Amino acid sequence: MRIGVPHMGNLYIPLKALLERLELDFVIPPANNRRTLSLGVRYSPEGMCIPFKLTLGNLIEAAELGADTLLMPAGSGICRLGYYAKTQEQVLHSLGYDAEIVSVGVSQRKLLGLLEAIKRLSNNASWSKIISAFRFGLAKLNVLDTIERAVQKVRPVERVKGTANKLFAQAVSATEQADDYKSLKRVQTDYLEQLSLAERDESAEPLVVGIIGEFYVLLEPFSNMDVEKELGRLGVEVRRSIFTSGWTKFSLFLNPLGVNEKDRLHKAAMPYLKRDIGGEGWESVGEKVLHAKDYDGLVHLAPFTCMPEIVAQNIMPSTKENIPVLTILCDEQLGKPGMLTRLEAFVDLLKHRRRAKVKV
Amino acid sequence: MEAYIGIDVGSVTTKFAVLDSNDKLVFHLYLPTQGKPIEMVQEGLKEVKKQLPKEVNICGVATTGSARYLAGVIVGADLVKNEITSHAVGALHYFPQAQTVIEIGGQDSKIILIRDGIVTDFGMNTVCAAGTGSFLDHQALRLNMSIEQFSQRSLESTTPVRIAGRCTVFAESDMIHKQQMGHRTEDILYGLCQALVRNYLNNVGLGKDIQPPVIFQGGVAFNQGIIKALREELDTEIIVAPHHEVMGAIGAALLVHEEMSASQQESQFKGFGVSEIKYRTSSFECKTCPNLCEIAQLSINGKILARWGGRCEIWEREPSS
Repeated sequence: MRIGVPHMGNLYIPLKALLERLELDFVIPPANNRRTLSLGVRYSPEGMCIPFKLTLGNLIEAAELGADTLLMPAGSGICRLGYYAKTQEQVLHSLGYDAEIVSVGVSQRKLLGLLEAIKRLSNNASWSKIISAFRFGLAKLNVLDTIERAVQKVRPVERVKGTANKLFAQAVSATEQADDYKSLKRVQTDYLEQLSLAERDESAEPLVVGIIGEFYVLLEPFSNMDVEKELGRLGVEVRRSIFTSGWTKFSLFLNPLGVNEKDRLHKAAMPYLKRDIGGEGWESVGEKVLHAKDYDGLVHLAPFTCMPEIVAQNIMPSTKENIPVLTILCDEQLGKPGMLTRLEAFVDLLKHRRRAKVKV
Repeated sequence: MEAYIGIDVGSVTTKFAVLDSNDKLVFHLYLPTQGKPIEMVQEGLKEVKKQLPKEVNICGVATTGSARYLAGVIVGADLVKNEITSHAVGALHYFPQAQTVIEIGGQDSKIILIRDGIVTDFGMNTVCAAGTGSFLDHQALRLNMSIEQFSQRSLESTTPVRIAGRCTVFAESDMIHKQQMGHRTEDILYGLCQALVRNYLNNVGLGKDIQPPVIFQGGVAFNQGIIKALREELDTEIIVAPHHEVMGAIGAALLVHEEMSASQQESQFKGFGVSEIKYRTSSFECKTCPNLCEIAQLSINGKILARWGGRCEIWEREPSS
């Protein structure tokens, strides 16, 4: 048995750590690239969204590397993701790969199911071994997200453009290589320090833009044309609503703090939308209501054909909490120059708006 | 004389606007891009040089439009600005009270909402170029008339026919169908104008609060049929901006004037001599990682001036010799 996993941002790093510690045979397919996308587009049924296409491409590329047991998230929410694993399995079979897709439930109450799936895959490894591997994976995830948060703050104000991106790329590979808690801790301290030492424009007061929307296109830069890097280049500080660690916390575990951020968002959205509409639609509306005051603007990312986000997009203009929103539909048809034109115009809009506010 | 040049290199046309130090338009130029952005920028500059007095001092140059980065490197632009902001600034210069700007160009169409002199929202056509200038051009050509004749003829319509405007490919088959049924050409032309306006409002203008005064600019604002259809559909006066076809270039020139006055710096303009230089563009696939980015580069005599198109920074460092 050889395990394969799809990509979503840097999620492969903690997954790799987990699988390594369980001493399982596995492959990580190449990072999302043009071939992955064309494979996914070619073999996807009509009207599928970019998360489906890219993950399908990953699974095909994993199968090419000999993987016969593929992990794919399913469940949570009412979006089509619930049946992606089944559909993708059929596509793989029709392509002649005799691979099984293990759908991993990712909703708050399914942690046990997930651990059980791992136990089954790991040939009945002891629970203590599973838990310890799991914890190490999560530790890597947290390090990555902590460093990324710092990167988001440095990008807009760095004197030498590209410094933060370069450090982040190095930090990602150092995290991947770290094989115990001690070296992991050192990676975090090292890179946080290097980032804090990066020469920056102290007088800059960067615009703050929240990135909200569907989790996959938020977390996979390939699918959103590196929207965060581009905003950083334009001198904008981004605050992303979902981090991989946060997402797994919401979806894999009961929130350890007991205060659920999602509840807060749902409550804020209540006057405009009273129920879950699948995916992150309800949360997107809530983000707008909650952050209208503290951000300069919002970039709303959604996969093309994503029903929950389309509903959210059409509710957002009518909230009384007012903040500019730029919706970007992510799809293989999205062209980078067109996206840049919109981002640049949006940043100009936000700058003028802030200047006018200061005057008043 | 001090002058500021705005250059708007669009998909179909290339526009030049020259302003004096009082922001008065002293010269403007409208050329077909013909898929040769570099040559057109060079040709335009030659023309600009001819028209301006000898002792002119170029204090700032800005580029805008879809080839703004390319054009910016060639002329040595002080400012490279997106066309949405440029159009808004141009419109506000002539109409400080403007609340809505409709801009329809060769390949794209935009709507810009303005309140109290500040842009509050904008929209741009996304996946489809339905209803833009190049489609109208194409239909005029197919009916064997100039775009000017198209414009005049559509006004003669008395009973416009309904044409499906959602997609230009289907709009064309629908038009041909209506022709073969024996409808009058002017009725088909105006029906097409109505269809395109409907499509624009339901696509680019979807969910936007369109308030008067409505300013109409871009090349398509030459078309009387479209103006009439917009007026009927929106039930408000449509103000066609003076020099509407070069408004993006004017906006860019205004912006660079503002910026140069604020920074008190010398212009990086490379001079009118760039018209004589032979530029070469080429592209290659970067094989450093599996992303296989398409990198485009601009060079003179083998010396790389600029590179674009990578997902990471490795090609973006200052071009080495």
